[in-house]
Parts: sequence; structure tokens; C-alpha cells
Amino acid sequence: MITVRATIALAQREFTRFVRQPQRVIGSIGQPILFWLFLGTGFTGSFRPPGMEGISYIEFFYPGVLLMLLLFSSIFSSITVIEDRDQGFLQSVLVAPISRLVIVFGKILGGALIALTQAMLFLVLAPFLGLFLSPVGTAALELLLLLITALGFTALGFLCAWSMKSTAGFHAIMMVLLMPLWLLSGALFPIQHVPPWLRLVMETNPVTHALVLLRLPFYHTAEHLLNDRDFLASLWIVVIWVIVSIWLSVLRIEKREKGILYK
Amino acid sequence: MIRIRRLTHVYAGRGRQKARPALLHFNLHVAEGEFCVISGPNGSGKSTLFHILCGMLLPSAGSVTIGGYDLFRVPRMVRRITGVVFQSPAVDKYLSVGENMALYAALYGRSGKAVSLAEALEWTDLKNRLHQRVNTLSGGLARQLELAKCLLTRPTVLLLDEPTNGLDPASRRNFLHMLKSIQRERAMTVLMTTHIFSEAEEAHRVVIMKDGQLLACDTPSHLRSSMGREMVVVVPSDTASLARALKQDMNLNPLLFGEELRLENVGTTESLSLLETILSHYRSQIHSVAIKQAALEDVFIHLTGGHPAESPPCSHSDSRSLGEADERGPPLERETTEQ
Repeated sequence: MITVRATIALAQREFTRFVRQPQRVIGSIGQPILFWLFLGTGFTGSFRPPGMEGISYIEFFYPGVLLMLLLFSSIFSSITVIEDRDQGFLQSVLVAPISRLVIVFGKILGGALIALTQAMLFLVLAPFLGLFLSPVGTAALELLLLLITALGFTALGFLCAWSMKSTAGFHAIMMVLLMPLWLLSGALFPIQHVPPWLRLVMETNPVTHALVLLRLPFYHTAEHLLNDRDFLASLWIVVIWVIVSIWLSVLRIEKREKGILYK
Repeated sequence: MIRIRRLTHVYAGRGRQKARPALLHFNLHVAEGEFCVISGPNGSGKSTLFHILCGMLLPSAGSVTIGGYDLFRVPRMVRRITGVVFQSPAVDKYLSVGENMALYAALYGRSGKAVSLAEALEWTDLKNRLHQRVNTLSGGLARQLELAKCLLTRPTVLLLDEPTNGLDPASRRNFLHMLKSIQRERAMTVLMTTHIFSEAEEAHRVVIMKDGQLLACDTPSHLRSSMGREMVVVVPSDTASLARALKQDMNLNPLLFGEELRLENVGTTESLSLLETILSHYRSQIHSVAIKQAALEDVFIHLTGGHPAESPPCSHSDSRSLGEADERGPPLERETTEQ
């Protein structure tokens, strides 16, 4: 009971903090939308990859922006790990009689739910592109996939942020690790038309599989997707990414400084 | 209630920095319901000890049991019965007073309903501020919230690390008064670190640390009485020459502390005649002279040898073991610590 109550309390705290900081709401939703509008509109005239003639770039880019929204939201959530430590709040959590998994999962779940809420707001724009999530089962599947992906990003962000001494250091990590994961996910350009070496890199990137999961429900029903081996393979890869990230985060925060032997 | 045995902590060196011992064979036993204050100058090992006691740091060697539970084997059992007040604020400034309290209760497996938040704040000045955001509270009120939050779960042991840091004297007095009355009412075991001597006066026992070692451990009155009845404090224009003169002419060994020369352990009648003698012989060299009752601050100065660099005049403590000589580990020789 203590585990559930503490997890919910920590997740709820993340959400409350988020809505009480309007600049965070604007920053994490506004930036992906601007990217989508500017890049999508700019590339629409020249984007004509073979086999995708019927899709405009603004439509192609839409799931990528959804992914970017999750990424940005998780980054902002992860930065609060550093703030919590600097402002002392983390101390009171670490001395509470709860397992480290609860601390990690509470924080990650809160961040993921914030990302999911933002993504749901962005999904309102999908019908204007002719993209529909129907029937209801497919919409529910899309939401579940968004949540799983958000958990993956937030857990990865948490893992990176925990070791950082400052938010400036975390921004550097974000630019050299988290952003490239998104850039090489197929969000900006289709994976089918890149050089073999790059395709290999992209296929080993778990975020590429997350994008597959987010894109396909717009074109196929949940029933079809749950019988699709490629879709299920991507789902497994993303689930493993989430589990490994959470597990590494738990290991990381369990580590305490230990005094050395003195000679 | 809290038993610390031969606790040693050595920080690893980084780069060209050498390994630094912060605690050496530290022993202490705090009885149930006791209010114990640990005092010492900066770098004496107080914070290291505190971080070990709240489970955030693993020592090089030694053992700690709190409430009968081994801190290093079953830390979660210890956390259940312990409340911790940190030096820096550990509340969320974006949340209200009530939300912070409810969050803390949840971390200890209690719901906001099970624990009446209003009741928990009854003794504080926050009673009518349940919905006020923490970032709008004054420093004193924020510290009260910190304490109220920790007491919400009714801990049997309370650890506090310099809890009055940054508070003005009135808020500090108020905070300590509240702490002391709750401690008495609940018969709680309290271990508090501070470098402000006036805060130690109210404790059942005062531990004085220096260089990671316990130098003295006794009641405030016993510590003061160890200094003798009175002391004569002289502020000369030239401390070195007057110290020399007192040694040569009167066979006295004054203790140097900052700009002061202290003649300790003087009886009531002797102190007055000593003062008169010093004044009559060295009046031209003296700015001021006074007879003073020993305070805890003076115990610290006495035990540390009165080195000004280590002992700012306001508060730090240190000394040679008085009360717990049997509990002390071997003195400053350093040995390999077992893990």
C-alpha cells in the first residue's frame, strides 16, 4: 500500500508542479508545434520520396512531432531531478522508508503522464490532416503506445539527469544523446531511403521503433496491428528499452557514496 | 536508542587531493527520550556523521543501530522510525503547506485523511496557512513546516542538521522552543547538530567534536563546571608581550583566543584580586579586562587550545573527552578500516 500511495503522490506532485509553471507548458508544447508547422510547410513542396507520393511532408512529419513532444516533455521533467536535488527536496524523499524503485517510478510516471497529456492535446490536430484513430480500440492503443514511449524517454532522461551536477550539463547531454535519438528515428526522413550504414544505426535506435508504434495506428486498426509481427517486434524493443532504463535508474540512485579504507 | 560504535569515514581523494578522514572511531550512545546536541567547528565531522545517520552515506567502518535496527542492514526499518530535518529546506516550494504535508505523509504510507494535517500544524504558526504556497512563507515559517512535516509521522527518533541555519535570533529561539517542548511531550530521542552554543544549552547532553573525533560529551552544566568557577578575560593592545609578561612576572599561562588572553579556572575571590593585580601592573597595555562565568563557548575554546582560526567567537565547540572516555576509540593514530 505504501508503495502505491507513494508512487501516486510523487507522480501527482510532478503534475501539480507542471501546471503551476505556465512557461513549462508553453515551452514543451509550443516548440514541437512550431517545428511541425515551419518544417512541415517548408518541406511539403520538395518532399517526394518513392512510394510515398500520396503523403504530404506535414502529414509524414506529424508522428515525428508527436515523438518530439514526448522527448521535450521528458527532458523538462528530467531537469526537475536536478532542481529537486539542488533545492533539497530530493533529500526528504531519499530518507523516506520507500524503495528506490518507487522513487524512480513515481518521478517517471509523473513525467510520462505530463507528456501524454500534451500529446493528447496535439492529437486533436490529427483529423485536420485526414488522420483518424478509429475505432476506439485503435485510439486506446495509440494512447497506450504514447504512454510507453513517454516512460522510455522520461526514464532515459532521469538516468542522464541523476548524474548531472547542473542543468547546463544536462542540456549538453540532451543535445548529444537525446536529440540525436530523435533525429535518427525516421521522424524527419524515411528510413527506407538512407545509406545502409545509417539505416543500421537507425534500426538499432529504440526510438525508431517507438516512431513505428506511433505512426501505424493512424493507418491501421488495433486488431490488424496486434497481429503484425513487425509491429509486435517494435513493441517489444520499446518495452525492453523502458524496462532497462528504469532498472538502470534504480541502480544509479541506489548507489551511495562510501567511505574508503584508510591506510 | 542511537548507538554508534567506532564509526570511521574517509572521503576518497580526487585528482591531487589526498584522502580525507572525516570521522575517526566515533562512539556515542543516545538514550531513549534524550535530547543530544552535537557541536563542533566547520569540518569537525558533524555533517558527515549526520549524513551517515540518515543513510545517505556509507561509512568506511563502524556500526550504527537506531531503535535496535542496524542502519546498514535494514535501513528501511530505521527510516520508518526516524524523522530528518535537513540544513537546507527539503520542501517543494511550488506546493502549498498542506500539499507538502500530504506528500510527506504518503511517502510514509499514510494518507492525508488518516493524518489530520490541521492537527499536525496545531502547534505551529502555520495553522491557518494550509493552502499557502511554500515560496511565500518566511524563513522561520518554512523551518516550522519542515519540522511539522517530519513530526507528522510521529517518529521516535528525530535527526536535525543545523536546523536554525539562516534564521534570525527570534525565529531561532521560537523554533528551538517548539522543538524542545515537543521532544519533552513525546519523549522523542533527538540528535541535533549545531555550531551555535546557545542552542546546546537546552540539551540533556552536548557532544563536542573536532577533527572527526569526540572530544567531550556531558551535560551542559558539567561541561561548564569543568572549566572552573570563573575566568579573567583580558584584551591587551599587544597580546604576545602581555602574555610573556604574565608568564614571567606572575607565572600565569594565559590562553590566547583571538585578541583575548584568558586566565581560566580561577576561584571567585582570586579572580577579583587577579584582576586588580593585572590592572595595577599593566593598565597601560590593556584595553579591557573582565571576570566571566564559563559558557559552553568557553569550554570549546579551552578544549581546542583557543586557536582563533578554528574557533569563531560566536559559537563553535570542541574539546577533550570528559564524560565518555570509555567510549572513545584510540586517538588520532590512523589505522586501516575494515569494511
